[in-house]
Amino acid sequence: MPNNPLAGMSIIVKSITRIIISMVMVFGIYIVAHGHVSPGGGFAGGVIIALSFVLLMLAFGKGVATSKITKTIASNLESVGALMFLLIALSGFSGGAFFMNILAKGAPFKLFSAGTIPLYNYVLGLKVGVGLFAIYLAFVVLEKAGKRK
Amino acid sequence: MTLYLLCLFLFCVGLYGVLRKRNIVKIIVGFAIMGYAMNLFFVMLGYKMHGRSPIAAIDQQVTNMVDTVPQELVHTSIVIGLGLTALLIAIAIKIYEKCGTFDITKIKRLKG
Repeated sequence: MPNNPLAGMSIIVKSITRIIISMVMVFGIYIVAHGHVSPGGGFAGGVIIALSFVLLMLAFGKGVATSKITKTIASNLESVGALMFLLIALSGFSGGAFFMNILAKGAPFKLFSAGTIPLYNYVLGLKVGVGLFAIYLAFVVLEKAGKRK
Repeated sequence: MTLYLLCLFLFCVGLYGVLRKRNIVKIIVGFAIMGYAMNLFFVMLGYKMHGRSPIAAIDQQVTNMVDTVPQELVHTSIVIGLGLTALLIAIAIKIYEKCGTFDITKIKRLKG
């Protein structure tokens, strides 16, 4: 991470963010991956992942997060998430019906089980995470566009 | 019954914020409080005495569980509330750019 002392918040916030940011992101990925065996799922985990990016942006200034994910990449990734959700749902037609669970179910309460339901969770986590971050990014872009006038 | 009345009181707090406050940011907070009061009301409607969360677990027989339908409704309602808040904030930013104030009594020029 670039250490520009002028951008972003104070050194205390930056140090704590450096320690915490990886934990927040791993917790979000955990919530997404265990969505079919415990409370949580794609939406809740996606929100946590998006909030980790928002935290990065608040602590280190606008440039850090926008250099990693620009607005175009965010909107494209969001569209890819929606399309992949639709593709997985359409693949159920090979088993007979829309949203049909065609993969092997596996043992209950195991991480790799429940057929296509974890796949829906991963794709939904991607879509929600990137989409929420894109909303935040849109506010920043809006502010910049207002200043240019 | 008391809990439902308290929920109505929370809704009225949000309504007061929407109708009486002049700052746009406070109006948005009032909208959010109204939404939270409605979510709380729905979840309370589905609650059962000593009911537990409707989630299956290993080696456990879940017999007395709360109603799941209001929880799903509230989950959807939270997502819609998020979109509503984002839209309101975007409108507020645009109004501030155009008029330079958040006070709704000082916004004069609506056209142009």
